[in-house]
Amino acid sequence: MSEHKRTPALAAAALAFCALAAGNVLGEQANRERYPDAKIDPAKGVEGDVGFSDTIQYWRTEADLERNAGMADKPDEQWKLNGKHMDLDRIDLHPGHMAVDEGAALVKKLAARDAAFLTCLGEGTADLKGKAAAYPKFDAALGRIVTVEGRIEHCAKSVLGEEIPQGKPANTKISVYFKSLSAGVPIKVDIGDGKVMEAYRRGEQSFYARTGQLNMACASCHVPGSIMGHKLRGETPTTPFGDTAHFPTYRTPVGALESIQERFARCHNQMRTQKLKPGDPAYTDLEVFMTVLSNGYPVSVPSAR
Amino acid sequence: MKRTLRMLAAVLTGLTFAGMAGAQGAPAPQAPPDYSVFPCLSYTQACGKVATRPPVKKALDGPLNGNPEKGKQLAQARNRGNCLACHVIPGGSQPGTRGPDLSHFGSSGRSDAEAYAMVFDMRTVNPETLMPPFGTNDILNEQELRDVVAYLLTFR
Ligand code: HEC
Repeated sequence: MSEHKRTPALAAAALAFCALAAGNVLGEQANRERYPDAKIDPAKGVEGDVGFSDTIQYWRTEADLERNAGMADKPDEQWKLNGKHMDLDRIDLHPGHMAVDEGAALVKKLAARDAAFLTCLGEGTADLKGKAAAYPKFDAALGRIVTVEGRIEHCAKSVLGEEIPQGKPANTKISVYFKSLSAGVPIKVDIGDGKVMEAYRRGEQSFYARTGQLNMACASCHVPGSIMGHKLRGETPTTPFGDTAHFPTYRTPVGALESIQERFARCHNQMRTQKLKPGDPAYTDLEVFMTVLSNGYPVSVPSAR
Repeated sequence: MKRTLRMLAAVLTGLTFAGMAGAQGAPAPQAPPDYSVFPCLSYTQACGKVATRPPVKKALDGPLNGNPEKGKQLAQARNRGNCLACHVIPGGSQPGTRGPDLSHFGSSGRSDAEAYAMVFDMRTVNPETLMPPFGTNDILNEQELRDVVAYLLTFR
């Protein structure tokens, strides 16, 4: 009898082993649980939200936002505005605007030491207008994916020998200034670039990977059927589409500027997952994935959330 | 105008909180918890290669012997069980709405052992569950699990 009992257990173990081996052949982490794939099409950009959260109808344009402004005051509806209603507040008072001025002053000061700092930021010209909308991008000379914050860190170091690391206030302020010069320009991450797509696919893997003590993935809160649109105590997680457009942002609950990768780290803390440093290759790939999901949506910096 | 006021209020609140943290003096520096024994996204650190702990179907050993009062604290505390993040629980404020309402869980006919196994690791019931495996991932210890289950079973 006991022999009989053991056989299925052995068979199950053998099967599990085969599954593991097969997973490894595919180059996947077979031993890492994943949230089910939501099958996002990168070619659709921000329009991928149609049939996903379907909230884009409320926040796609300023006219949509104006029409649906009343939803901001309804606790069950506000999440459908995806925070975009806050971008209509064009008052000069919030610290996001102050960061633009501070970032501009920093760039001026650094460029005074060596004008090459500015032409490094602008990849050959001193004119930064509209350029941030094409980030993250693959930089062939550097041989890696570069975000706006990564470009700032690189130029400070290579031109001035100065450390302005990603995630530090000086870097974030310069980023806010840099991106504000693209405000209103539709985001266009180049998905025709094979290296960008490789990063997108790695970022996508990370989006669905369950991590940490709570065994949650980004997707656990940000795809249909997950916690998205449901109350998670005080908060209601929103769609990932269009999200990176307003970063770096001034976070009112934190009282500080926050880059998208610092936001990833704060999420990871909430998910009881080992957080990574801004600029970590895994976070950079995640930013690529997230920003492709904003393709076609205008850069919305400065902002407050 | 209304929007502007709302934004101003939000900004001021943010500043107030930021200010408060400073005014209260530096809070005792707490060592950040170490989550690196669990999977992370790094391509290079060890946690990037850590496996998900497989689901554990845990049998309840002996009588439940839980303390519902302690269970209540655990279920509501954000840094512990935080069951309220996803569930409506009697008397809890700002409940989450993704998980089923647990207000009458004690009348659902579940035995102590069934309820315990669910909280220990819900993946044994639903492999794709959103509920964290409280026992398997050491979020709650053995006695804490029993306390939380005893608390759940008081909801009639
Ligand atoms: C991240 C969200 C989340 C958290 C946190 C959470 N749960 Fe759940 N729970 C769920 C979901 C979702 C279900 C529904 C079953 C499923 O999908 O697996 C569930 C189901 C349950 C059930 C089964 C209900 C039934 O009648 O079938 C119990 C009991 C339960 N949870 C208890 C708890 C306790 C106790 C805690 C805290 C220690 C907790 N949950 C924390 C998401 C959560």
